[in-house]
Amino acid sequence: MNLSLCILEISVVFLGLAVLLLDLWTPPAGKRSLGYFAVAGLVLILGGSFLIEIPQTPETAFTGLFVHDGLALFFKRLFLLTAIGVLLLAREFAPRIPTGISEFYTITIFALSGMMFAASANHFVLAFVALELIAICFYILTGFLRHRTASLEAGVKYLILGALSSSFLVYGMALVYGTAGSMSLPEIAEATEATRTSPLFQLGMLLILVGLGFKIAVFPWQFWAPDVYQGAPAPITAFLAIGSKAAGFALLLRLNLSGLPMPADLLILIAAATILYGNLCALPQRNLKRLLGYSGIAHAGYLAMGLATGSQAGAEAILFYFGGYLFTAMAAFAVITIVSRETDTDDLSILYGLGKRSPLLALAMALAVVSLAGIPPLAGFFGKFLLFLAVLEQGPNFALHYLLAGVAIVGVAISIYYYFGIIRAMYWPRRTPLTSPIPTHLTLQIVIVISILGMLWLGMLPGYLVEIIDQSLNSL
Amino acid sequence: METGLEHYLIVSALLFSLGLLGVVLHRNLILMFMSLELMLNAANLTLVAFSRFNNDLDGQLLVFFIIAVAAAEVAIGLALIVALFRRRQTTSTEDIATLKL
Repeated sequence: MNLSLCILEISVVFLGLAVLLLDLWTPPAGKRSLGYFAVAGLVLILGGSFLIEIPQTPETAFTGLFVHDGLALFFKRLFLLTAIGVLLLAREFAPRIPTGISEFYTITIFALSGMMFAASANHFVLAFVALELIAICFYILTGFLRHRTASLEAGVKYLILGALSSSFLVYGMALVYGTAGSMSLPEIAEATEATRTSPLFQLGMLLILVGLGFKIAVFPWQFWAPDVYQGAPAPITAFLAIGSKAAGFALLLRLNLSGLPMPADLLILIAAATILYGNLCALPQRNLKRLLGYSGIAHAGYLAMGLATGSQAGAEAILFYFGGYLFTAMAAFAVITIVSRETDTDDLSILYGLGKRSPLLALAMALAVVSLAGIPPLAGFFGKFLLFLAVLEQGPNFALHYLLAGVAIVGVAISIYYYFGIIRAMYWPRRTPLTSPIPTHLTLQIVIVISILGMLWLGMLPGYLVEIIDQSLNSL
Repeated sequence: METGLEHYLIVSALLFSLGLLGVVLHRNLILMFMSLELMLNAANLTLVAFSRFNNDLDGQLLVFFIIAVAAAEVAIGLALIVALFRRRQTTSTEDIATLKL
């Protein structure tokens, strides 16, 4: 038993409890500033994570439930960075939350701890509990705006469909456990060929894919995403788009690397269908958050391409893509959080004339959509480039990969149309109902500037992150 | 007749399918929620049966966690449904269609 391996998770949970306790002694006017305390705590924990070395061979704790290795550490840093951004957005969002801003911070932190545990899960029990911790926190956060019907509806929809997907997940786990005789991923991977080809085992793995596919919102389990993205408070939409999706991919990658890959042909079909569905449905959208919801589905499709390769290059591409997606999505949602402050809608029209109203916000949004579309020289381009390389590398083994790459290129071409619509709304609007400048708080200016720098850095000098990812994956 | 593993598996598969049917067919949120609980309990039954016949306690361990998690889910779920009912005076899925294309 080695408790020190999960020191990061333990610190995050204690930070959440500390915020909850401090709330008792904080006067109502100061509660909003508890966000700074939470962010400071998370920055400290993130700094501390760099003192932890990547072990040569994976180390385990809790009799093999918890594993500490490079992959887990990479995802934990990604989650911590995401949560720091989300909490700063939440502080900006606070006046729109009628009651319980401290609880909003705390539950966000608890969701973060769930994601970190999911990154380290090496056993069905920990995987299930971590996923449920994330999901239950998000049910609350999605429905947090109790005075808005859209938020409550999104919460209820997410709850029903989320609970449905976890029943599939847990039933699949039960079948795999029964046939393989163990819940530990390395032990299941050692099962005999006869066991692994038995129908019950394969049905179990398929049901697990259903459960995880729901988390990452790939076709045909994507239908919840647009509603929930639209209804949830903007900071939570950002957290869902980056954190929750990355947690699902962390588990799928863990399954892949433990020697329990999902069938490649199925993943190729899922990835291709997801890319087409997300991009085509995004075309007619007028609501910004809903548009980003569909675009998020398309991005899950691109990421699933990396999964379909089943190769080390595919895993590296997924990690890099998430690194770029973090900065890109954070910039977009920061702009949405600020701009929707006055109008209280998320319609595309709130961006009209943003180029004149606030050049910094418009620049951030423009760079974000250019990066999302995958145009050089931004982070999104290099991530897609790595994913395409990984897919084409597998082409000689399995010709369907060429088809997948073709579909992905069509998807990218479609996406440029609706992404350009956002840029046109900001710089060449049809009408400009509002012309007043938009004041932006200093902390959010910092978030936006860091996101812009991050996008440019990963797009132009990707070598550093690629090297870190190499180190992370070589320890496995 | 001896009760074997396959009997347990068949019963739990039936329970799971019944729960799934309930979720798909019902239009009332509370009934959908009850059907979801049925699905989770079908998984529990499978786990306990496998645990018993494989002589391994891990399955029962997961069952405890599932029961705890299901309780938390119900608490959150009913709170959300009550909050929605206060706003819309309905628990039918047909009436909650603010978010649509």
